[in-house]
Amino acid sequence: MMLLAQAVEAGAGNTAEAVLFWVFAVLALGAALAVITMRNIVHGALMLVLNLLAIAGLYLTLESSFLSVIQVLVYAGAIMVLFLFVIMLLGVDNDDLLASGPTTRVLGVVGGALLAGALLFAFVGPYTSPASECGPGAPATTGDQVSCAGLAEAYGEEDASGVAFLGGRLFTRYTYGFELAALLLTVATIGAVILARRRDVAPEDEDMADVDGDLAEADEELAEVDASVADDEREG
Amino acid sequence: MAIGYYFAVSALLFSIGLTGVLLRRNAIVLFMCVELMLNAVNLTLAAAARMWGGPDGQVFVFFVIVVAAAEVVVGLALIVNLFFRRGTLDVDVPQLLRW
Repeated sequence: MMLLAQAVEAGAGNTAEAVLFWVFAVLALGAALAVITMRNIVHGALMLVLNLLAIAGLYLTLESSFLSVIQVLVYAGAIMVLFLFVIMLLGVDNDDLLASGPTTRVLGVVGGALLAGALLFAFVGPYTSPASECGPGAPATTGDQVSCAGLAEAYGEEDASGVAFLGGRLFTRYTYGFELAALLLTVATIGAVILARRRDVAPEDEDMADVDGDLAEADEELAEVDASVADDEREG
Repeated sequence: MAIGYYFAVSALLFSIGLTGVLLRRNAIVLFMCVELMLNAVNLTLAAAARMWGGPDGQVFVFFVIVVAAAEVVVGLALIVNLFFRRGTLDVDVPQLLRW
């Protein structure tokens, strides 16, 4: 209760941010837990969509509205549609492949918990003091503690969303990275097209390909096959 | 909000993603767990960008999203290939590279 009262007192200026943060944080963590525990993969993918949307909400509370939009468009939109498309293409929505034995399971959970503890200890501890509060009512830097700078100053007056600032940085200091990203996307597209091409054609089809795609002949053969199949059906 | 809370959320998200990678054997679920971990790191970068008042962290998030998109495209193509060849998505079954 004391902690809660302190938090309320310290965050009097940013109660809205605190409320949004807790809502989206709980949503993100719960959805992430659901992703790794759901037995139905489609449900897991939908939970991942929920998790990504919650993270987009967290970006909003972090004054990064452009990232939030990109997150919804690219991650929750494009990438997750691709995931769902592949799941439904393969028709594997309901298989349950957890780790092999109970030992592996226990080790996995223990490993995850250890990592969580280490990360919380190393990265979270130094930044929970009031000095790292962001927003309107944030206190100034005290002693050697780093205070939160916030993004309003960097964005400037007429660029509240920060898109212009981000774009300026992207096309000046990070031009090479941007070009490399474009190249990477091209390579990935070509690679996916090559990988996804089916090569396991039936033997007769391969023979047909050898005579340089004589389509008429292939059609004739198909018609013959169809006729024989129909005959078989009539007889049997 | 102190920025540490955002770090806490992303640390927990990353650990959940790692636990998922360790626990599940379905290739698609593994991929989704990797996405979880990437997003946790993205959240850290965005929070740090706000903490230090510069846009560089946000630019990195942008690049990470681009790389993740490329990775998902190629990875899912590989998974589709694997499934058509082996008839399963269990990552413990294909042992071609094991000696």
